[in-house]
Amino acid sequence: MARTIAKRFRAGVPGYVLVAPAVLVTVVFLVIPMIQTGYWSLTVYNGVKPPQFVGLQNYIDLLTDPRFLRIIQNTVFFVVMGMAIGPVLGLASAVLLNQSVRLRALFRTTFFLPTMVSLVAVATVWKMLYQDQGMINQVLATFGLSGTDWLNDPTTALPAVVVTSIWQGFGFETVVFLAALQSIPREFYDAARVDGAGAWAQFRHVTLPGLRYTIVFVYVVGIIGSFQVFDQVFVMTQGRPGISTRTMVYELVEQFQNLRLGTASAIAYILLIILAVMSYIQIRLGEGD
Amino acid sequence: MSRLTRPVILLAAAVLAAGACGSAATQSPTSPVTSASGAPATATAAATAAATAAGPATPEASIDTTPVTLTVWDYYGKDTTPFTPDAIAAFQKEYPWITVDRQDLDWDTFIQKFNTAVASGQSPDVATLDMTWIPTLASNDVLADIKTLSGGAMNGKPIADQYAAGPLEAMTYGDKYVTAMSDFDAYVLYYRADLLEKAGIAVPKTWDDLRAAAKAIAKDANGDGKLDKYRYAVRPNTFHFSQFLFQNGGSLLTPDNTKAAFNGPEGVSALEFNQSLVADGSGLYWSDASGDLPPALADERVAMFSDGPYYMGLLKSGVPDQAGKWRVAIAPYSKQPGSYLGGTGLSIPASSAHQAAAWKFVEYFLRPEQQTLVYTVAGAMPATTAALQGPDLTKPDPYFGGQIPSVEFLETLKTSTHFPYVSAWSDIDTAIGENLDAALVGKVTAQKALDDAAAAADAALAK
Repeated sequence: MARTIAKRFRAGVPGYVLVAPAVLVTVVFLVIPMIQTGYWSLTVYNGVKPPQFVGLQNYIDLLTDPRFLRIIQNTVFFVVMGMAIGPVLGLASAVLLNQSVRLRALFRTTFFLPTMVSLVAVATVWKMLYQDQGMINQVLATFGLSGTDWLNDPTTALPAVVVTSIWQGFGFETVVFLAALQSIPREFYDAARVDGAGAWAQFRHVTLPGLRYTIVFVYVVGIIGSFQVFDQVFVMTQGRPGISTRTMVYELVEQFQNLRLGTASAIAYILLIILAVMSYIQIRLGEGD
Repeated sequence: MSRLTRPVILLAAAVLAAGACGSAATQSPTSPVTSASGAPATATAAATAAATAAGPATPEASIDTTPVTLTVWDYYGKDTTPFTPDAIAAFQKEYPWITVDRQDLDWDTFIQKFNTAVASGQSPDVATLDMTWIPTLASNDVLADIKTLSGGAMNGKPIADQYAAGPLEAMTYGDKYVTAMSDFDAYVLYYRADLLEKAGIAVPKTWDDLRAAAKAIAKDANGDGKLDKYRYAVRPNTFHFSQFLFQNGGSLLTPDNTKAAFNGPEGVSALEFNQSLVADGSGLYWSDASGDLPPALADERVAMFSDGPYYMGLLKSGVPDQAGKWRVAIAPYSKQPGSYLGGTGLSIPASSAHQAAAWKFVEYFLRPEQQTLVYTVAGAMPATTAALQGPDLTKPDPYFGGQIPSVEFLETLKTSTHFPYVSAWSDIDTAIGENLDAALVGKVTAQKALDDAAAAADAALAK
């Protein structure tokens, strides 16, 4: 028995050696920091004095604080709006680009271009567009419409940040959907047409089922990214006016800046739990048949 | 796997993220400056100069001359730092056992990087710190006590003799000096003298004057019935609100620093005054989301605003074509002059392994001739009283029509007050700023906004 185990171990040595670097990196840069962060989330810790264990107090304080609940609400609004519009736009543009249209490559590149531009640069440009006397209000004025000070109005600031994010990100979804669309066999559409299916029926019964795993992928990645929104908020509004655009990661960074590593770690774990639950649900939905 | 890693990566990213800056001061250069201890600054300057003139330091017997390399984190900027290569070379010549490794850091991300370094035990030996960061850092015992390191003396004279009362108080936390101020920040009124002259309006001295002047020069340039040019910039942050609060006789916290006081009658009427400027259109609500102010100065949307000395440099570089049109004045007030007091301090982290050498560096760069570089190179106002007497700070500035701007800043310094040194200050600052937004865009009354902010401040103070 022992000889068999030793033999099997020796046979596996090359494999262990090959995976060792990846395991080591994962443990050092992922597992240990996660454990450390988890411990800090149960402490009052400023990075200088030794951590003081307080149990779940950081979580209780956060989850009973109306301000933090509003911050979660802002983040969820950002995710819901972004995910309701972005992937739909991406899918619509992908379906259009999947037709035999002229200059398709140009359109594809154009749609994808914003994704390649730094989010900070995009946010900076949109911040200028949204100014009281910015281009958006000037365009509205030519149609006799009066705009508002988009980023300084608590009711429009967060939607304005959402629009910027959708504009920057939907090109990625377009390209992903386009690649998936082109992998759906043409024969399926031919067969559907023979059965008398119109364009909408083809989309519903051929395209959408063919894109199921891609849709799950886009939503899983999109929701994870949306919950982590920070750059746009940092550049465009600094979480203001009021706390109307303050998001969870923005709050996390600010807590860290104030040397409240325990609270910052607790926010990180709350975010982790939300993302884990959301991803699990999405993956299960994607598997359902 | 990536789902699980993201928050941790974010936390790590947060550690690498963010920043800050600021500065302000008092005393007329045309009259003797009195130091915090009451000694005439001219005497201090003479003594300091004498100490400096003694030439390269002869290592005292008690000084450890083991070669060390000092890491200096500097947010002044590569081309605008007072720690110029020549100045550092001169310092290293005087202290040959010390090598300086000056590192440029961006103000916006400085504090995150500094906190990360502190938390990981890798802090620099000297750091430029915005005075608004000091409460958090000092209350967490991050900064070394300069009083202990220096024995209470700087360049041969008591530290207390080398600063005015305001800066000295700002440097003090408990019974320690947690930083040594390099430059100060206090708010004066910047105004377009050409427009006031054209309108036949005198320089505003009171809030009523300010309102009248703002109404007199503001214009509706595009004819849509709304004032859109030559307005006064109303800023929704604690720096600007506290200026009006102090001018109205109010204070941010109660004397024992246990409760908010800014929502009293003085604060409410101060905020209502700002609301009225926005409401009648002569004031332009200008938040961080509105972007930097210079573009609004360039296209003349703004013709008056309150801010600190560093705006002199921003005006010169941002709107050089408006040279000769701008002036500065003591900010208009209701009951008494007042301003927040901030600036840049040179601090030595408590975890620095080279604190004695670090103090030598700080001490050297607070000599009058080095402090002058804060004005001539960094474009800020030096904080030491001796430097404020220097010829560079007392000569007419052509950009400001031959005015000597430092006179107004030094006068303002006399009545400036630093933010309270409580560990909850960042929460209080955030609460005030967030609630000012709602009041200034007309969503809530001034009383409601300040009461909400006070409730948040009280909760933070109670922790």
